Amino acid sequence: MTAHPMTPIDTPMEDTRPLTFRERHASQIRQWRLYAHMFRKSFSSMLGLSLVVLFLILAAIGPLIVPYPEAASGAINMSAKLQPPSSTYWFGTDEMGADIFSRVIIGARTSLWIGVVITGIAAIVGITLGIIAGYRGGWVRAVIMRVTELFLAVPGLALALAIVAALGPGITNCVLALAIVWWPGYVRLVEAKTLSIKEELFIESARSIGAKTPWILWHHILPNCMSPIIVKMSMDMGMAILSAASLGFIGLGAQPPSPEWGAMISVARTYMPDWWWYSLFPGAAIFLTVLGFNLLGDGLRDILDPRSRDR
Amino acid sequence: MFGKIIRNIAIAGLLASSVLGTPASAFERTDKGNVIVFGGRQAIPVLDPHIRYDWSTRMMQQAVYDGLVKYEGDPAVIKPWLAEKWETSEDGKTWTFHLVKNAKFHNGDPVTAEAIRYSFERGLKLNKGVAWMLKDFLAPEGISVVDDYTVKFELKAPYTPFLSFLPWWYIVNPAQVKANEVDGDYGQKWLTDNEAGSGPFKLGRWEPNVLYEAEAVADYWKGWPQGEENRPAGVIYKIIREPAAQKAALQRGEADIVEGLTPDDYVQIARAKGIAIEDHKGMTTFGIKFNTQQGPTADINLRKAIAYAMDYDALIQVYNGAASLETSPIPDAMRGHIDVPGIPRQDLAKAKEYLAKSGYPNGGITLPYVHVAGLEEARRIGLVLLDSLKPLNINVEIKPEQWPNMVANGSKVETSAAMTSVYTTPVSTDPDAVAYQYHKNSWGQYFAMMFYDNPKVTEMIDKARSSSNWDERAKLYADIQTQIVADQPEVFGMLQNRRWARRDYLQGFQFSPVRFTGEVDIYPLWVKAE
Amino acid sequence: MLTFAFRKLLTLVGTMIGIAALTFLITNVAPGDPARLVAGPNATEDMVATIRTEYGLDKSLPEQFIVYMGELVRGDLGTSIVTTRPVLEEVMRYAPATLELVFVAMFLGIVIGVPLGMLSAVYKDGPLDQVTRIFSISGVAIPAFWFGILLQLLFSVDLEWLPVSGRLPLVTRPPEFVTGLLLVDSLIAGNFSTFWTSLQHIILPAIVLSFPCLASILRVNRAEMIEVLQSDYIVAARAHGISSFRIIALYALKNAMLPTLAMIGLRFGWMLGSTVLVETVFDWPGIGLYAVSSALSSDFKPVVGVTLMIGFFFIVANTLVDLAYAWIDPRLRKA
Repeated sequence: MTAHPMTPIDTPMEDTRPLTFRERHASQIRQWRLYAHMFRKSFSSMLGLSLVVLFLILAAIGPLIVPYPEAASGAINMSAKLQPPSSTYWFGTDEMGADIFSRVIIGARTSLWIGVVITGIAAIVGITLGIIAGYRGGWVRAVIMRVTELFLAVPGLALALAIVAALGPGITNCVLALAIVWWPGYVRLVEAKTLSIKEELFIESARSIGAKTPWILWHHILPNCMSPIIVKMSMDMGMAILSAASLGFIGLGAQPPSPEWGAMISVARTYMPDWWWYSLFPGAAIFLTVLGFNLLGDGLRDILDPRSRDR
Repeated sequence: MFGKIIRNIAIAGLLASSVLGTPASAFERTDKGNVIVFGGRQAIPVLDPHIRYDWSTRMMQQAVYDGLVKYEGDPAVIKPWLAEKWETSEDGKTWTFHLVKNAKFHNGDPVTAEAIRYSFERGLKLNKGVAWMLKDFLAPEGISVVDDYTVKFELKAPYTPFLSFLPWWYIVNPAQVKANEVDGDYGQKWLTDNEAGSGPFKLGRWEPNVLYEAEAVADYWKGWPQGEENRPAGVIYKIIREPAAQKAALQRGEADIVEGLTPDDYVQIARAKGIAIEDHKGMTTFGIKFNTQQGPTADINLRKAIAYAMDYDALIQVYNGAASLETSPIPDAMRGHIDVPGIPRQDLAKAKEYLAKSGYPNGGITLPYVHVAGLEEARRIGLVLLDSLKPLNINVEIKPEQWPNMVANGSKVETSAAMTSVYTTPVSTDPDAVAYQYHKNSWGQYFAMMFYDNPKVTEMIDKARSSSNWDERAKLYADIQTQIVADQPEVFGMLQNRRWARRDYLQGFQFSPVRFTGEVDIYPLWVKAE
Repeated sequence: MLTFAFRKLLTLVGTMIGIAALTFLITNVAPGDPARLVAGPNATEDMVATIRTEYGLDKSLPEQFIVYMGELVRGDLGTSIVTTRPVLEEVMRYAPATLELVFVAMFLGIVIGVPLGMLSAVYKDGPLDQVTRIFSISGVAIPAFWFGILLQLLFSVDLEWLPVSGRLPLVTRPPEFVTGLLLVDSLIAGNFSTFWTSLQHIILPAIVLSFPCLASILRVNRAEMIEVLQSDYIVAARAHGISSFRIIALYALKNAMLPTLAMIGLRFGWMLGSTVLVETVFDWPGIGLYAVSSALSSDFKPVVGVTLMIGFFFIVANTLVDLAYAWIDPRLRKA
C-alpha cells in the first residue's frame, strides 16, 4: 500500500538499470485500477466521494466565496435579523442578522478541524497502543486491552457528556472529550490485526534476517493494518463531526460567534417553527457531510476490506 | 395476562380513530372545575421553603404556603397576611406581630404564634436558602411567643429592611414537620416532596421533572379574590423545556400561560388569535461586571472606554424593545432611585479619548466575556459587545460557563473574569438590597464580581441601612448611586421586561416587580368561560 | 460452559467497578462547585459550607472516592445535591420511560430492518440495494436532534397529528404502576385511551431513536443473508426445486438471524446511551434527560449513576451475546 523505499530487503536482486516507477509498482497500479473501477461502479460510493470533495473544497475556500465572510466572526446587523431565505440571504439570517449561508459554509472549516483532530488523536493513540498490545503480548497487552474494554463498555456520548460537563463547555474541551472516548476502537481493531499478522511467514523471515522490531512494525505490520484503519477513519470523520455537533446541541460545544453547525442548531431550535430555515440549513450541512464520509467509508470497505462488511 | 394485553390492543385499535379526532381542549377541565396549566422551563427539585428558592420553586411555595406578610401589586407593597398588624419598638429592634385568628393549615391545625416561631427557627438553624436574609440580625432565641396569636422578634441591631424580607419566610406546620422528622433533619427529607402549609393550594400530583399539581383549597381561610364560583380547581406547573414546544402548547391550548419564550417569539405569538402578552417593567438589572481589582479592567479609563463604546440600542433590540436602559444601579421601581446624570451612552469619540488615557491606548487586547451557558440573551449581548469593541481594537472572547463554575470563579479576585454578565433580581423593594451589592462585605457573591472597593460608598451604605429616617436614607442613596456610576465598576445595561404569553381567557393576572423573572402569583388566576 | 459463564461474570463486575472509578474521577476533577449552586444566589460562605459538609464535598478527592466506592458496593449511588434524593431512587424512577422508548424503537428497528435487509440481499447490487444502502447510512448520519425537530415540525406543528413532546397529556393520569411502561400498564388496566395517547406520544421519539439501529440491523441481516444464500445447502435446495420464497423465508432467514440477534443485543446498550439527545428534544422524562439536566448543573453523582446504569445494561447485553455464541460454538469458550 505504501510506497516501499529502496532497501536491500525489498529488492535483494542485483540491478543493472534502475526500474522505472511504473515497473516497480506494476502490481500495485493494477490493483488500484481495479479498486477505482469497482468504486466507480457503485453509485453510493461516488455520491459519498462527491459529498466529501465538496465539503473539502468548501472548507478550503469557503471564506473566500461567501457573500458575508464577516458573519462568521460575530458581525451583527440587528435590522436584518431573522430574514427568510431570499436572493440577498440565500439561507436567511439568524437572530443577530448574520447571514446563515455564510456561516454554514464557513462552518465546514470548523467541522473539518473537529473531525481531523478527533480522528487524528484517536487514530494515533489507538494505533500505537494497538500495535504495542498486539505485538508485545503478555501483561502489556493485558493492561492495554483491559483499559480499552473499559472505555468501550461506556457509551461514548454519555462519557463525553460527563467529561465536557466537568471541563466546562467549549470547542476545545469538546474535541478533547471526544478524542478521549474515541481511541479505544482503534486499539481493538489494530490489536486483532497485529495478532494475526505477526505469526505470518514474512514477519518470521524478516525477523530471522535480523530486522529490528520498530522496522518490522513500521514496514510490515502497519501497512497491513492500513485498509481497515482507512475505512474506519473515513467513517469516524463523519461520526466525530456528528458527535461534536450533538454536544454543541446540548449546549456544551463551540462558543459564539464560532460557526459550528451543532451550536447553531442549539440556538436555532428555540426559533422553531416560525424561523425554520435557521435550524434546517446547518442540520442539512451536518447530515450531508456525515453521510458523505460514511458512504465513502462504506465504499472503501467494499473494495479494501470486503470480509469485514458486517462488523 | 398476555392474552388480556393482546385483546386490549385490538380494542384500542378500534377506538383509535375516535380519539384521534378529538380537538385540543382549551384549558383542562376536570370534574372538579378548571385546571390552569402553566408551562415553564425549570424544574422544582425541592419544595421545602427553608431550603431553596428560585422562581419556579417560590411560585409553588407561594401557592401552598403563607407568610406573615405578602408582596402584591406594582409597585410592590407589603400586605398583611398571616399577620394582620404589627408594631416596632422605638429603637427599631423589637417587632411584634399579631396573627389573624382564622388561618389554618391544610390538615386543620390553626396557624399559631408557635408555628411562626418554629418556622423562623427552622429557617435560621438549617442555614440554607432564605437564612442569609435575616441571620446577621436575628438569632433563633430572639423569637418568642407572647400568646397564641402574638409573636415577637428581637433583633440584634436595628435593621430597617427587616420587614421587606418577611414575605419570603413561609410558615410550616410544626406538628406535621415534627411527625415526619428523620434523624433530627427538621423534616427536610419529607418536605422535599410534601408540604405542611396553610396556603390557597395543597399538593396534588407531584411527578418530579415532569409536572407539579396544586389543588385549590376550597375553604381557604382568606377566601378567593376571584370569587368561590370562579376559582380554579387547581394549577398544574408543567415542565416544557423547549421554547418551541411551549409555544406550540400555548397555541394548541395545552398550556394556558408560558414563560421563557425568546424575544422574537413574543412578538410573533402576540399576533395569534386568543393569545395575550403580559409585558411589565421588572426590577431585574443586567450589568457587565468588570473585575476592578485585577487585570486590564482594573484601569478605570479602560472601563469607561468600554462603557462608552457599548451599543446600548442593540441591548434593547436584543429584547425587541421589551427592555429599558438602566439610568442608575438601582432599578426604577425601587424607592430611592434617581436618574444619574451623565451615565454613559454610546459615544465613540469619548470611548477613544478614554482609551488613549488608559494603559492600552491602541487596544490590542483580548478580554473574556463570561455568561451563563444556555442564557440566550446574555450570549447575544456578548455578540453585541464583541461588535461594539471592534472600533477600539479590543477583542472579546465569549465564554459560556455553567452557573456553578461561573460563581465559583467569580468568588475570588484572582479567578474572576475581566467581564462577566450578571442578571440580578433584588429580593426586596428596599434600596439596600441593591446598594449592598456594592459593599465590600458582598465580595465573593455572584453579584459582587466587580470587587468594587470604595470606602466612601461602603460607609454611606452602612449608614443608610441602619437609619430609620427615610429622608436621610434617600439622600444617602442618591449619593451612592452617583458615586458608583462615576467609578464604572460595570457596564450598566438594561432592565428587561418580564413577559409571559397567556390565553386571553386566563384572568386575574397580577404583576409584581419584586417577584423573580417568570414567577407568577397563581392565587388570583382564574379562567373565564366563554 | 459454567466456568466460562463465571469468568464472564467476574469480568462484568470488574468492568463495572472500573467504569465507576473512571466516571467518578473524570467528573470530579472539575472546578465547579455544586454546593454553591444549591445554596442559592445570595448564600453566604458559611451557608455554602453547610451544604458542602452535608454532602461530604469538604473532604479531599481520594476520601470522597473511597466513600463513594464504599457506598457503591452496598448498592448506593449517592445523593443528588440538586434534588436531595438518592440517585438510585431517581434512576429507577426515570428508567422505565427510557426502557419503554428503547423497546419501541428496537421493535421498529427489527420490524423494518430485517425485511429490508432480506430484500436487499436477495436483490444484491440492484437499484433497491443501492437505495437501502443510502437509506441505512442516512440513518447513521442524520443528526438525531435535528431529525427529531424536523419530525416535530411536520407532524406536530404543521399537520397536528401527534403531540410535540412528553409521555402523556397534562391531565391524563398515568395508569396504575405495574411495570412503569405506560403502554403495558395502560393495557393491563384496560385503559385504551391512555394506551392510544401514550402510543401517539412515543411514536416520534421512537422513530428517531430507531433510525441508526435500524441501519445496523439491516446491514448485518443483509450481509448474513448473502452469505447464507451462497452456501451449498441453499444452492442444493434450489436445485431440488424448492420455491425461492420458501428458501429465503424459511431457511436463509433462520440462519441469518443469529448474527442479527447479536447485533440487536449490542445495539440495545448503545441506544440507551443515545437516548440523551432524543429525550432532550422530546422532553421525554427518562434517564438521558436526567443526566443532561444534572450535568448542566454540575450535579455529578447522577451523571455517574446514569453512566453506570447504561454501562451495566451495555455489558450485560454484550455478555449475553458472548454467552449465546459460546453456547452455540464451543470453540469460543477459550477466549
